[in-house]
Amino acid sequence: MNHIPMRVIASPAVRPAKPTRRALAKQRTREKVLAAARQLFTERGYEGATIRDIAKAAGMSTGAVFASFADKSELFDEILAQDYALLNEAMQDAARSSDDVAANLTNLFSVAYRFHMSQLPLLQAGISASWTRSDVAEKRNREALKPVQTLVSDTLRSGVERGELSQRADLRLIAGVLWDVYLAGYRRAVFDGWTADDLTSRLSDQINLILAGARS
Amino acid sequence: MGVRDAQKAATREKVLSAARDLFHEIGYEETTIRAIADRAGVSVGSVFTTFSSKADVLSQVMADRVEPLQAELVRVLPYLRGSTADRICSIFAIHYDFECRRVKLFLAHIAASFSPSLEETTIPFGRNQGFRGMLLDILAEGITRGDIRPDADLDLVLECLMAAYAWNYSHAAQLGADAVALTARMDKQVHIILSGVRPQTSYGAM
Repeated sequence: MNHIPMRVIASPAVRPAKPTRRALAKQRTREKVLAAARQLFTERGYEGATIRDIAKAAGMSTGAVFASFADKSELFDEILAQDYALLNEAMQDAARSSDDVAANLTNLFSVAYRFHMSQLPLLQAGISASWTRSDVAEKRNREALKPVQTLVSDTLRSGVERGELSQRADLRLIAGVLWDVYLAGYRRAVFDGWTADDLTSRLSDQINLILAGARS
Repeated sequence: MGVRDAQKAATREKVLSAARDLFHEIGYEETTIRAIADRAGVSVGSVFTTFSSKADVLSQVMADRVEPLQAELVRVLPYLRGSTADRICSIFAIHYDFECRRVKLFLAHIAASFSPSLEETTIPFGRNQGFRGMLLDILAEGITRGDIRPDADLDLVLECLMAAYAWNYSHAAQLGADAVALTARMDKQVHIILSGVRPQTSYGAM
């Protein structure tokens, strides 16, 4: 769980100068729960992993788990949010890697494909849960996904600024379709055994098709 | 059909009908096998003699819905007019209209197709060759009709259309969008995707 300390370092301003022993113990508990939960969600999916299983794997009581997280969905979303945060920087860099809007989009999604394919069952569990989650969980997830969706829109806008795409193109709609085809790619991974490279290469064709009508 | 087979078929029908209602009314995750048995008026044991799991029940419920939808599409097909985009939009509109009648059921179906513990008996969402074939035919006719480029990669077009179609349901799941809203969104997406394969104009002025 090397990214948890990173999150702490990333926000030194809000961290108290000297954490109390209690706060440290709480943080350690949280990390243990997250590590155990990540493992179980990956193995069994969202529905298949119960709080009781997670507590057992983390070596603590279910009560101790609930002291850190209100419910299973909050715990699950925290794991997804950690991954998004971890991915965000690499995707930002990839989105600026060239002066070609299609290449930049392909590159930024390729970062996500490579990352998520290394833990496909967890991603499947995330997508599966997304169709039936509660309003609260949905709002939380939307917030977590905002930076990457903004990145897609910004990348398209740079394409308009460079004159690659028409001023009249409906960027919002295009960004939505791009996101849809990116996500749909994971189905090929699940059912047809496609690799991250296969997915990226197909997505590149799809991006070219979707942008073709918006070229200026 | 022997008495036993007839009984078994009757149980199957009762279970599927009860499950279809419950999945839609209270959601898939919240529905237990016991609740399905209660609603169907059969024992929990007899549910399990016909189905291996709740996921299996869902899969069968969805399989039974393919036929009426297919019939509706086939009925409409000869009456489709206008551009390829218009025809494709009509097909998706029928899908949305049909699935939104029991949208929670359909959302559970999509969710199940991503589940890491998908069972072998399950036919996941998006794998129906009949629906795919229908759309591909309309696209191929578009080349003859002259509003789709002859060298267009139709499978690629279909993939993009299907991706947009499927993920639009997330607006039903999360924002409570209805069939009319989903269809309106899809119409715009169809035009964006198909504008990429218009003859000549694709890299020209939009």
